[in-house]
Amino acid sequence: MSEQITMRIDGQVCTAKEGQTIIEVAQANGRYIPSLCHMPGLSADGCCRLCLVEVTGLNRLLPACTTPVRNGMSVVTDSERLNQNRLMALELLFSERNHICAVCVSNGHCELQGLAQQLGLTHIHFTYNYPKLPVDVSHPRFVLDHNRCILCARCVRVCDEVEGAHVWDIAGRGINSMLVSDLQRPWGESQSCTSCGKCVQVCPTGALVEKGHAVEEMTKRNAVVTQLAIKRGTHP
Amino acid sequence: MTRIRDLSTFNAVRTTGLGKLRPHHVRIAVGMGTCGTGNGAEAVYSAFADAIFQRGLDATLVSTGCFGFCAEEPLVNLYSPGQPLVILHRVRSEQVNQILDGLLEKNIPEALALCKIEQWDHITAQIDYGAGYPMVPLWNEVPFFQNQKKIVLRNCGIINPDDIEEYIAVGGYQSLYKVLIDRMPELVLEQLKASKLRGRGGAGFSTGMKLEFLFKSNAAQKYLICNADEGDPGAYMNRNEIEGDPHSLLEGMAIGGYITGATKGIIYVRAEYPLAVNRLNKAIAQAREYGLLGQDILGRGFDFDIELVEGAGAFVCGEETALIASLEGRAGRPRPRPPFPAEKGLWGCPTDINNVETWYNLAPIVARGPAWFTETGSTTSAGTKVISLVGKVRNTGLVEMPLGTPLSQYVYDAGGGAADGHSIKAVQTGGPSGGCIPHDLFDTPVDYESLAKLGSIMGSGGMVVMDDDNCMVDVARYFVEFTRSESCGKCTPCRVGLDKALRTLTRITKGEGREEDLVELEELGRMIRDTSLCGLGQSAPNPVLTALRHFRHEFEDHIRAKRCHAGVCLELALSPCENSCPLHMNIPRFLQLYKEGRLADAFESVIMDNPLPASTGRVCQHPCDNRCRRQGIDESVNMREVHRVIADAVLLSDQFEEAVGRVLAKKRKATGKKVAVVGAGPTGLTAAFYLALLGHEVMVFEAHADAGGMLRYALPEYRLPNSVLDREIEIIRRLGVKFTFNTAIGEDITLNDLGSQYNAVFLSIGTWKESQLYLPGNELAGVFVALPFLEAEAKAEPMQLGNHVVVIGGGNAAIDCARTVVRRGSAATVIYRRDRGDMPAIPEEVDAAEKEGVRFRFLATPHRIIGERGGVKAIEVTKTRLGEFDTSGRRRPVATGEVQVVSCTNVILAVGEDVDRDFYRSAGLTITESGMLQVDRYSLESSRENFYAGGDLITGASNVSNAMSYGKDAARNIDARLTGDSHFDGLIPTFQYDQTAPAEPSKSPRHHAHDLPVAIRAKSFEEATTALKPEEAFEEACRCLRCDIRDSAHFAVSHR
Amino acid sequence: MKKARVATMWLDACSGCHMSFLDIDEALLDVAPKIDLVYGPLVDAQEFPDDVDVCIIEGAIGNQDDVERVKRARERSRILVALGDCATTGNVPSMRNPIPVKTILERVYIEGAEGQKVIPTQGVPALMRHARPLHELVKIDLHVPGCPPPAPAILYVVSELLAGRIPDLKSKVRFG
Repeated sequence: MSEQITMRIDGQVCTAKEGQTIIEVAQANGRYIPSLCHMPGLSADGCCRLCLVEVTGLNRLLPACTTPVRNGMSVVTDSERLNQNRLMALELLFSERNHICAVCVSNGHCELQGLAQQLGLTHIHFTYNYPKLPVDVSHPRFVLDHNRCILCARCVRVCDEVEGAHVWDIAGRGINSMLVSDLQRPWGESQSCTSCGKCVQVCPTGALVEKGHAVEEMTKRNAVVTQLAIKRGTHP
Repeated sequence: MTRIRDLSTFNAVRTTGLGKLRPHHVRIAVGMGTCGTGNGAEAVYSAFADAIFQRGLDATLVSTGCFGFCAEEPLVNLYSPGQPLVILHRVRSEQVNQILDGLLEKNIPEALALCKIEQWDHITAQIDYGAGYPMVPLWNEVPFFQNQKKIVLRNCGIINPDDIEEYIAVGGYQSLYKVLIDRMPELVLEQLKASKLRGRGGAGFSTGMKLEFLFKSNAAQKYLICNADEGDPGAYMNRNEIEGDPHSLLEGMAIGGYITGATKGIIYVRAEYPLAVNRLNKAIAQAREYGLLGQDILGRGFDFDIELVEGAGAFVCGEETALIASLEGRAGRPRPRPPFPAEKGLWGCPTDINNVETWYNLAPIVARGPAWFTETGSTTSAGTKVISLVGKVRNTGLVEMPLGTPLSQYVYDAGGGAADGHSIKAVQTGGPSGGCIPHDLFDTPVDYESLAKLGSIMGSGGMVVMDDDNCMVDVARYFVEFTRSESCGKCTPCRVGLDKALRTLTRITKGEGREEDLVELEELGRMIRDTSLCGLGQSAPNPVLTALRHFRHEFEDHIRAKRCHAGVCLELALSPCENSCPLHMNIPRFLQLYKEGRLADAFESVIMDNPLPASTGRVCQHPCDNRCRRQGIDESVNMREVHRVIADAVLLSDQFEEAVGRVLAKKRKATGKKVAVVGAGPTGLTAAFYLALLGHEVMVFEAHADAGGMLRYALPEYRLPNSVLDREIEIIRRLGVKFTFNTAIGEDITLNDLGSQYNAVFLSIGTWKESQLYLPGNELAGVFVALPFLEAEAKAEPMQLGNHVVVIGGGNAAIDCARTVVRRGSAATVIYRRDRGDMPAIPEEVDAAEKEGVRFRFLATPHRIIGERGGVKAIEVTKTRLGEFDTSGRRRPVATGEVQVVSCTNVILAVGEDVDRDFYRSAGLTITESGMLQVDRYSLESSRENFYAGGDLITGASNVSNAMSYGKDAARNIDARLTGDSHFDGLIPTFQYDQTAPAEPSKSPRHHAHDLPVAIRAKSFEEATTALKPEEAFEEACRCLRCDIRDSAHFAVSHR
Repeated sequence: MKKARVATMWLDACSGCHMSFLDIDEALLDVAPKIDLVYGPLVDAQEFPDDVDVCIIEGAIGNQDDVERVKRARERSRILVALGDCATTGNVPSMRNPIPVKTILERVYIEGAEGQKVIPTQGVPALMRHARPLHELVKIDLHVPGCPPPAPAILYVVSELLAGRIPDLKSKVRFG
């Protein structure tokens, strides 16, 4: 019932339905917009700020994952300004915690690592924080390594919206924000966790992984979760 | 219980209220806002209560909110029938009986009276009190209130906030009644739009439009929210508004409810505001009781109720979506918009959120109409804004002025400017998300657009004034520390970016900054601003970006020179005195060495920091005096006088040779490099001293016949005897420095000659050219210019003087001239265009001159000199008054047109000295815009390689120690350049001495140097001020608190 | 044609990057005649020579000696290349950074030691508080991440540098 609208993404004319977001229309039209927190099937959170795009006529940058398209809108997804901001956001994420790709089970399958490669990031010019962070191995099947968490909150959303368990949340604030299970209890002692593993599948990095994998062995299947979300109708 | 259902009940309540406000007996109202109680208002209140009870007085005692002048609390309002309302300030409980005694005889304690109110415009009503007390100024005659217009604060400090009847008495709830009777919500919305009222929370969106969005929504449930979660450091407008007048908020929201169709209002108030919470709870209960909230309001069939929710005070909850999340019981984190709260807000229902102050404006606009409202303020921003003015101003408090009022009116007129001895540097508007605005932009109007243009924001209205004691790097660091800790952590740029910015800024304040840090901070700041999810992150970089824009040199000082001139960044300073000393003398060390009886060591410590210790011990401007922490106990340590004692005790005694030997022993082996120093003034002598010690061959060229520059030729013998200066110069000679006298650069020798003969050249010829003041009559015989006058005096070829000499100017040279004139047996009058406190001369010198009989005429500017037979007969002066504050932070003298004639025989012009520009231009050296020789701020190298310059030549006329500091820095830089290595720090001796801070500060008061009796000194060129006695100097040394010792327990506590 | 004076340096790392360099196999034959290898683990020189065209450094800066060596390399080389993750990010050596140096040394030399339980202080350079990437100390002209960077990427980098160009590595290399 929603109306058809016409817009441009990087000059390319696209048709879309009212209510769709810029990132959805871009994906449907084969335009890739970098993002770490956005995932089809989950509500948009707008927290990683990588998907910011330019909209002609506006000085402000808008997040492609939460901004609805309008008729006649003209969007630029790739520019010097956007690229610099994205690189800097990646650098901030890399230097915030301890991301050692070489020894990570997700090496080669990590969205953070992949974006860095794609955008040409070869070093981090910020000084690293080197925080001392715990690794939660209390769950029989899964591991939560806070060193690799980028606080994208995909796990929080998938558990709440698709699984309906709401095990995960983010506690603390600012630079001290931490992913917590239940009321900050070890994951293995969680009363609400169904051990479904959806959080592991949607995690873009090696923060949530299955036990028993060596370096480079952990691959994720988040498309399955998207399909499930669509099938269950939890897709927003 | 009075439930109001009709107009007659309403009016009856109003009459009762008026009777309380203006009773037939005495009414005493004590200001009991948080600011009042913090200053002892509770004790004052109970003293009044006891006294009234004991005396059996027929008097009402109530408490009110704050009238706005927080610095003057506790404030007490006195009313007796038929008399004006008098506001007393700084009332103490001991004074209560005296106040009551006077009141019974209709007397007002004048000393306590701040101002009076004869008639008060509550906007919604007007209250007449009566005329009287001619000696007490009207409230708007007090500078703090002069330009204020109280719309939001219309009732604060006047009515009893706990009594709804008093609120109704001043026209309260009348606007709500009107709206309910008219039954035309669209019309009210139109009026609000026409009034151009904009959101006072900071974003400045049209309130009328925002409410209209809500009105247009068809949802069954709509919400109104008042954001009273004021969280900026230094801002407390909302707190005082609620504490002083809670019903205005309720009425504003009820009007908002009626015109939008919302039936539920929520006030999200900070839990840290217990008094505001308490008063709101009482007000809501009363409003319900009187039928002004709840069902069927005022019998007009309108339902609206208000609930109070206490917020935990998270700064991010100023962001509306975060506030809603918090109300819903979730973590206070924002979400992206759209959807906007007007579509999907609290519990998914359309919601309108406004700041406290916005709601306060609704009733006045309904009562007086949009045209009345737009009379106030600027074209884009109508109405007023309450600003909390805090920081380094004399008058702090809440200032409500029309939008568009220039910053200078806040800082100088209402704020009263800086404290004595300080100057205002900048203002931070908008709290931690705002930006700093430097004082030369204080003509900026305070409105949304103008502040945004400067990279700052209006915010909720905090205004923090900063003076020369504030380090802008530290200020930026402080605000980023705040926003970093208040960031919710949801989005990457704000969470990680602010943390990075804080780390970098902290590094800079510790002296570990890197050159590339500034560019990184700018790029990072822009990225955080452009990409953050909510207003917190988007505005958090403002303090850094504006500080970098307006105060970049302070950042560079921290990074390149490792200096914090404000003395805030402790890692960069030994102690406040050391930091303030242009020569960075290790003051605590020489005081301690002297205290330990180690005179030779103390002298070595002094002279290696300062090659002219006896001269500066007499004439230095002593900035250390203004920074000494001992001022917090009694008075600062007399550091200058102690180093004079140390210097004199060695230089003028048989210990001289031993001391010279110690200095010579430090001389490094010859480098074979030759350096020319041009000018043998304090700057050149200092450079020569250190360059010689560093092993270079130094030749000093000087136009005069002897060394010393201004010290010899401009300072009269009674201030600095030549015999003292000669001893200091002798040490410099014995280090191997050669002098060529009577050789003027440009005339006798050229810069090219020097360039070809020497490895480096240091130019330090000072400011010997007099500034030209055009004055008719200049040419008359008997008119002199200060420097030649003093120089002739120094050369014992004095100029002829008549019996009355007028000196024009307010600097040290003017005072020196006047005191010399007195000693010549003539009368002297100093004429200065500003007031005494604005004089650049050293205050002690001015006092001494006055005692010697020099007369002063302030606030007068010369107009012309009247001649007679080729000589001077009189001078015509125009009286001035003090006008607006200028960029120097002093009031600008404005000619009044009133002319006076002062008869005199001579005029000496002491209006400043200047650089001889023509010579440098012809020599191919670059001159700055302000006409000074251009050098690199840190290396002191001029536009010509290996030509360095320092002193007054690059700064303009300054003072001795400041000028010498350039000689010291130049020597360091020239040596580093010539040798490719750094040896300077190796010259500075080290000593073992006691490193424990005194457990108790010494009891001794400050010792002042001794002036010769006036009768003797005014007739003699003998040194007018003699040194401290050794035992006094010892006691002074003992008074030092040893701020240089850091690892004491005290320090650990104060700097966690 | 004048041969390029090339140096390599092995700091806090596993030498895998040097191995990967050698993994360019037969291409070595093309590269070898064009360069003069003047310093590095593959040659005998004891002192870092002057006038180096390209210095390729593997490893993080982990101890006081590394600091001096990198500074010297910077002073004496025209182009400084950070090769591999340790040099560009700190990588595995930096995994000790969240832990205080004292704790690590005690864990290794006291708790973990089988024979003599003593923390060595003689003849070994002091550990830095953090193992850090090279660019935090000196200016780096080219970063080549990878653990190790694949041989073709190294060959590409070397060929471009020998041709007088700074290679554009966008999308050709990655961390890990």
